[in-house]
Amino acid sequence: MRFGDHIRNVRETLRKGDKKYSLRQVAIRVGVEPAYLSKIERNVFPPPSEEVIGKLSAELGEDRDVLLAMAGKLSGDLQQVILERPRLFADLIRQMKEAPDQAILRVVREVRDGNW
Amino acid sequence: MIELKHDELVFSFPEVHDDAICSIDFQRTLRIPDDNRSYPLPPGLGRFPMEHTDDHSDSLPVKWKEHGGVLLPMYQAEALWINFNSDYPFAVKIATGKINAVTGKEWSNKLTRNPQDYLVIPDQPWLDGYCVQKGLIRQFVAMPLGEGYTAEEQISGKAEHGGLQIIVYPMKRKHYELMQREESRMADSVLCQMKVFEDSDAMGLAPGGLMRQEIYEDEHDFNVWDTENSSRCFVHILNSKQWKAVTGNEVPGEPPGSKEYTEAGLPWFEYYDDHHQALTGAKTLAGMDSVAAKTIKQGKQPKDNDQVSPENVSAVGPSANQVKEGKW
Repeated sequence: MRFGDHIRNVRETLRKGDKKYSLRQVAIRVGVEPAYLSKIERNVFPPPSEEVIGKLSAELGEDRDVLLAMAGKLSGDLQQVILERPRLFADLIRQMKEAPDQAILRVVREVRDGNW
Repeated sequence: MIELKHDELVFSFPEVHDDAICSIDFQRTLRIPDDNRSYPLPPGLGRFPMEHTDDHSDSLPVKWKEHGGVLLPMYQAEALWINFNSDYPFAVKIATGKINAVTGKEWSNKLTRNPQDYLVIPDQPWLDGYCVQKGLIRQFVAMPLGEGYTAEEQISGKAEHGGLQIIVYPMKRKHYELMQREESRMADSVLCQMKVFEDSDAMGLAPGGLMRQEIYEDEHDFNVWDTENSSRCFVHILNSKQWKAVTGNEVPGEPPGSKEYTEAGLPWFEYYDDHHQALTGAKTLAGMDSVAAKTIKQGKQPKDNDQVSPENVSAVGPSANQVKEGKW
């Protein structure tokens, strides 16, 4: 599903339960023109900036990283992480491509519990 | 397992159920006046930053490395509230300085029903302080360990642990699935020259002003909780100077005072949920001196403690958006 379609589906679903999710009101809350958001939802315009996607994710209760990925973007903090060790992360991501979720979860960094 | 994502602790139990995920963050807020009047709920002014203890082990006391967990910065006398977010039911125990914030008893990894020493989420959307009386809590306020203010020092007589401790137990899978079926029917590293600060510089949480907040009784059978599976986390509290020295980052500016906030006409909140019974509060916790009372006993005058009269009070309930957030 394309970025615009997903945003419109999520917003319309929320609007059924609460009118504050009208296109106009959501656009105002994320700081863009309603006409601009409308064109994004209809895929006339490409996905907006990382900042606007961040605001949309907060507004619509969506995961920011997932929305950025749907928009073909990588968040600034992830770019920074990769740029620090680009070869290592490129290898890691390629190797993880086919791995099951459980295997990926094993490399996720946990908050360590110690003795207390 | 616990992950730290966007300044939020995410507890997940994939071994119990794919839905068994809850997140906990710590919200900056106003310190309400500590004058024995009860106040409504103050706003959330954004999450406190957090970092892994392991990322800064070279500049931390040895004991802190042993504790693991995360680091969180607070100014002296700054307040916080704990925000819970989950659709899956969990029993959550919260302690400060290893003193339980619901019962006033010393820390134990066990879950206890009588007296109930835990909160049930998602019924309980947040916790702002120590449960001192039915419908009243005393706000969590950061104070240095060793000056006698913290709950730990007042109850255990020791200034040993500081910080904040959490343990989370998920509901057992079969009870969750049963509940879901019932509901569906009803609904149809860094610098080597860095100074290691001393253990004695640690911060703890102390009881501040009184706030109207109910801590809800567990309405489930006690056996629904999966006591075989739990995750716990030690949240170390650093003051702003320590945070800068350890992480290299600045702490966000100090929050506004209650007086300025109220005079600007900004909102306070009252939470209403008639569907749950409130716990009666712990005598041990009710017997503690608040920060202001302790200050006066020490022959000093409390600072920035003017009484306020919030007029802009918004009602919030379980069906509304639960995160109390001011307009900033």
